[in-house]
This record gives sequence, structure tokens and C-alpha cells, in this order.
Amino acid sequence: MNDPARLQAFNRHVASGGKVEPGDWMPEEYRRAVGKFVEMHANSELMGVLPEREWILRAPTLRRKLALTAKVQDEVGHAQLLYRVAEDLGKPREAMLADLLAGKTKFHNVFHYPTRSWADVGIIAWLVDAAAIVAQQALRESSYAPYARTMKKICWEESVHILHGRDVVLTLVNGTARQRALVQDALDRWWGPLMQMHGPPTDPAKDRDLAWRIKTKDNETLRQEFLNVYVPRIREIGLEIPDPELGKDPETGRWHYTEPDWRELYAVVTGHGPKSAERLAFRQLNYGETQWVRDTVLHEPRAAA
Amino acid sequence: MSTEGEPMVGGPGAHVAEGGGPPMSLEIFEVFRQEKEGGPMVHGGSLLAPDGELAAHYARELYGRRQESVRLWVVKRSAIHDVTDPDLLQPPMDRSFKKPVGYSAGIKQKLAEARERAGGQE
Amino acid sequence: MSALTGATGTSAHGLDDATRDALAELLLCMADDEFVLGYWDSEWTGIAPLLEEDVAFSSLAQDEIGHAAALYELLAGLTGEPADRIAYGREVDGYRQAALLDHARGDWAFSIARRFLYDTADAVRLDALAGSSYAPLAGLVAKMRREERYHLAHMHAWMVRLACGGEEPARRLAAACERLWPDALAVLAPPAGERRLLDAGILTESFATCRQRWLGELAPLFEELRLPFPFRPAPGASSSRARPAGAPAVADAGQPGRLEPTFPEPGPEGRTRHNDDFRWLWGELTSVYRSEPGATW
Repeated sequence: MNDPARLQAFNRHVASGGKVEPGDWMPEEYRRAVGKFVEMHANSELMGVLPEREWILRAPTLRRKLALTAKVQDEVGHAQLLYRVAEDLGKPREAMLADLLAGKTKFHNVFHYPTRSWADVGIIAWLVDAAAIVAQQALRESSYAPYARTMKKICWEESVHILHGRDVVLTLVNGTARQRALVQDALDRWWGPLMQMHGPPTDPAKDRDLAWRIKTKDNETLRQEFLNVYVPRIREIGLEIPDPELGKDPETGRWHYTEPDWRELYAVVTGHGPKSAERLAFRQLNYGETQWVRDTVLHEPRAAA
Repeated sequence: MSTEGEPMVGGPGAHVAEGGGPPMSLEIFEVFRQEKEGGPMVHGGSLLAPDGELAAHYARELYGRRQESVRLWVVKRSAIHDVTDPDLLQPPMDRSFKKPVGYSAGIKQKLAEARERAGGQE
Repeated sequence: MSALTGATGTSAHGLDDATRDALAELLLCMADDEFVLGYWDSEWTGIAPLLEEDVAFSSLAQDEIGHAAALYELLAGLTGEPADRIAYGREVDGYRQAALLDHARGDWAFSIARRFLYDTADAVRLDALAGSSYAPLAGLVAKMRREERYHLAHMHAWMVRLACGGEEPARRLAAACERLWPDALAVLAPPAGERRLLDAGILTESFATCRQRWLGELAPLFEELRLPFPFRPAPGASSSRARPAGAPAVADAGQPGRLEPTFPEPGPEGRTRHNDDFRWLWGELTSVYRSEPGATW
């Protein structure tokens, strides 16, 4: 049971930057909150594989083929790392996958949208990954130590993805008129989901994940960080951002922008995005088709009789 | 100290809640990696595998596919003794006689005295 | 357009035209083998049966593409045509991978069986090139073999695990082997220019010898795992010990008997005629490249 004094001591401990290891005492709510947070992150890495996966087949050069396969591989690896962290908190991996496939748990909005061209691959690897890494860097300070350590590894691996993405975009932008048009079109379609990605501004006083330092920065701070670095980088190569309201207040240093469509975000993360059903169905199909393999490894191999 | 095969309170095997953990013969393996030759083995993370052979392959993939490690140790989690008792690791009695900090202030003061005395005798 | 016509590359290492053409053809076959295999296997990325295995299998696929890239580069050095153009710029009938590699990835057992058959055949082929008089190839082969060792070990582990893992995995694996054996022979089918390559010391062992060594190595494993092995001692080959009826044919240890297939041998069409699976793959993998010919990606 939650002893109030012990709970208070715990809250003080994490609020002041103290760490929690798997074997430490922790309130049930904290365990559940971290588990849910990490599970959603793991789900997102796994579902994040799908938009780019199609393009592994269509990468137009040997080097791009290698780079994109390696990137998607990293995402699977990240899913593995994160499911391990979540599993050690008490929920078996099979149960998490089952809940994901049944639509019971969520994954980040950006992975519910279609990819239409090779330019999407560049924009995703550069900007979607950049937006994600802004959040992930903050998570390196998470109070839950296994998650914090995992985030350090993930951030290190993600840094290459952003370089790859930027390289793809720059190559296209320096290419033919048609290639440039492809990139602009991709940016036009991905800007909305990007702006929604960090979530609506929340009241830090009411955000339990913040109070417990499961995450250490609020949504709006992350979005501002992203805009501050990447808007100049997008504009300097001649791409237009499809938001006439986007600009930086010279006095406050804060970016203002058209309010993202939060209803769209909510609809998407609850499974009603353009590709949500199809991608979950694809996963379900594959999971079903490979069940016999998992059943096989659950048995000790017998010598051929 | 734990008895052989029995997870300590709060040890790696103990915190997995009722009904949790990998199914039947998939085991958890911990991976330690060495970044540079001669360096320490540092914990990298864990993985699931049906046996040690596949565990080694997976460890290489997860902690070495970018050539970022020169050595890996792949160990069943169940073989690890997790020692966390603060009475054992951070015992309360003074132990400064075992540490440099137990000597530095005293030496500084005594050295000043000795130098002064030696300087006065000239 | 084949990578070989209109070749303007200087004759490296003092090769005469005919030998250089034979070498280029060999390199193209090997590169295409690795390239196409890498493509099928990278399709498991994100959807493999186990997360850890997913990451491992993806590395195998990347290794193959990496080997293909290096082989295309070698070929580029001989013919003057850029590696990416060789890899992506040919019409579908210009590709030279063995029929074994034409099949889509199928289920997990199919992919494992196909990889195992390929990796073991490729290992023997690499052995015959390790001492090649063509130094760039010998150097590349040395590097590839070090990586291929792990591929072999990994695939062997899965072959055993599936064959001994119960009724369903064993059945699937056996069915895959049954389907794949006829096409597997195409990997070590002798190329047209083999004589020239042997004479020049570029190849140090004939493909016929390679094939016998390959089959001889696989026979005991397939027997132990009770997997189909549709080969029998060739007539006149020494095999003095009588075997019980129904037992699989094995090249007698100590008395190297030649093994021959119990099915029709693939001819040159084993590398020149491609099936619908590959036609589909070619359409996909060249689609972006062909959308803007000459563009940089």
C-alpha cells in the first residue's frame, strides 16, 4: 500500500532529479505511468517502421538503399530496447503487441499518414526525426533510469538518421525542377502532422508525467525548440513552410504559428488517421503469419527423432 | 548476498510483476560492452533469446552493428547477483581512514606547521 | 543493355578482352545474386517473427547489398559504367542472378532455407576465388568471407531450430527445400567463360568441383535433419557400402563419389530467364530510379 510518508519522500526524490531503478520501491501509479509512457514510445518506434518500409524496396541508389534499411533497422532496434524496459515493469511483450494490434494502445500521430514519394523519405528522416529527437533528448534526464539510459543510446543512433534525411533533401533540392517540386509537396503535406507531433500545450502543474520527471520538458517547450532550429534550416534551402502565420517574435524569441488542428491529432492517435487501419491490419497479418515461428522458439529443440 | 539461484529482494528477477516476463524458453540476457581495447565492460542493455548462441548474434546486432564495441559479454540475467543493500554498500560508520579525504586536511595543516618550524631554525 | 557491351574500360592487370569479359560476366552474376537476395531479405525488416531477429536479419540483408555494391564497383572498374547504373539501370532481362534468388521471400522457413542454400553455395564459390590472381577480387573476397561466416552460423542455427522444432516448422522447412533445390543448382552452374578464368588463375577451382564439395558438405546435415536431398551417386562413382533402401544418398566419406541431381539440371536459363516474382521486384526497385533518368538521388 502507498504509505503517505514514503510517497512524499519518493515525490521529492524524483522532483529533485533523483533516479529510480527497476528494483526500487515506487508508487503503483508511477510504475503504471512509466510503463504506459514507455509502451507508447515502443509502439511508435514499431509502427514508425511502416511508412518508410515501402521505400526500402524503391531506394534509387545502393547507398540510399543501405542507409534506409539501416535506419528502419534502427527503429526496430529501438522498439526492442523500449519493449524490454516496459516489460521489466511488468507487462509482457506479447501483451503489449496484442494491445497495439487490437488498437487498444496508441502510437504517435506521424505514423498514421501515407508516404507518397521518395521525397517523403527525406522529409521524414530529416524533420520528423528532428522533432522526435528534441523530445528524446529531454528524456535522457528521465527519472526512470533504465528509460533514461535507453534514450541516450537512441539519441546517439538517431543523430545519423537526421544527417541521412538532410542529405536526401539537399540532394533533391539541388536536383531537377521535378525533384524540388517533390520535396516542396512532401513538406506541404507533412508540416501539419509535424506541428501536432509534440501535442497541445499542457498545464505543467497538472501534468503528472512532468511532476514525476518521467518526461522533463513540456510539449510547447519542445515545439519551440524544434521551430527555433529547423525553420531557418528549412527556409535557407529555398523551401516554403505552408503556414503564413509562422514567425518569430523578435522581443520574446517565441515562435507564433497557426493553431494546429488538435481535433485531427486526437482523431488520428485514436486510430482514425488515413493509414491507421491499414497499417495495423498489415501488422496483424504479419504477426499472425509468423506466430508459428514464435511457437517454435518456445520449445526446446529436440534432436531429430 | 544472495544464495545461488535465488534473486535478492529488489534483484533483477524479483521486480517483474506477477504474470509479467517473457514466455517459457525465451530468456533475458544482459549485454556488457567494451568501447575501446583495455576499457571497462559497461552495461548496454538486455535482450530476449531462446539460447546463448542466438543471444550472442542478437547482442552483436543491438550493441555492435555499427562497429561501436570491441568486445561483448552476454550473460543470462538469472546468473547475475544484484547487490543493492545500502547497509552493505554505503555503511554509516566513519571510514575516512580508508580514503584520501581522511588525510588531506590534516596533512595540509601539519605541513604548514613543519615548514614554519624548519624555516624558523635557519 | 548489358553492362558488357560497348565496354571502354582499360584492360586492368593485363587481361585480354576475352578474359576480361569472362571476369565481368562472373562479377555481374555474383553481384546480382547478392543484390537480389539483399532485396528480398530486407523485406523482413520490421515484420520478422521476433524483434531481436528482425534486427539481426536486417543486418544480413544489408551485408548482401554491401557486397553487391562492392562487386558492382569492381565491375565498374572493368567496364567504365557507374555502379548505380549497373545496379538500377538494366531492363529486367539484363539481370543475371541465379534462379534460387528469383523467389519472393515466402514464409520464414522459406527465407531461411533459401538463404542457407545460397550462403553455403556462395561460401564454396568464394573459396574458389580467395586465391584469385585478380588482386582486387581476392581482396574483396577475403573481406566478404569474414562477414559470411556469421551469416552461415546464424542460418545454420535456424535450420536446426526449425528442423527439430516440431511438426509444423519441420514440414515448412522440408517443403521449402523441396521447392528450392532445383533452382539452387543454378548458383554454381559453370559460366560460359569458365575455361578462360581457370587458365588465367582468376578462378582456382572449377564450378563442377565447387558443386561437389558443396553437396558433399550438405549431405550429412540434410540427412541428420531429415530434409529432402534429391541427389544420388552418379553412375560409376565409387560408393562401395550398400545403403538400406530409402536412405538418402550420401557422398561416401573417404571415397569421394560424385553426386548428381535426381531432377533436370538447370541450363544457362538458370541465370537468364526470370520469373514473375523477380519481374515484380525489378519494377519496384527501379521505379524511383527510372522516374527521372540521369537524376542524382
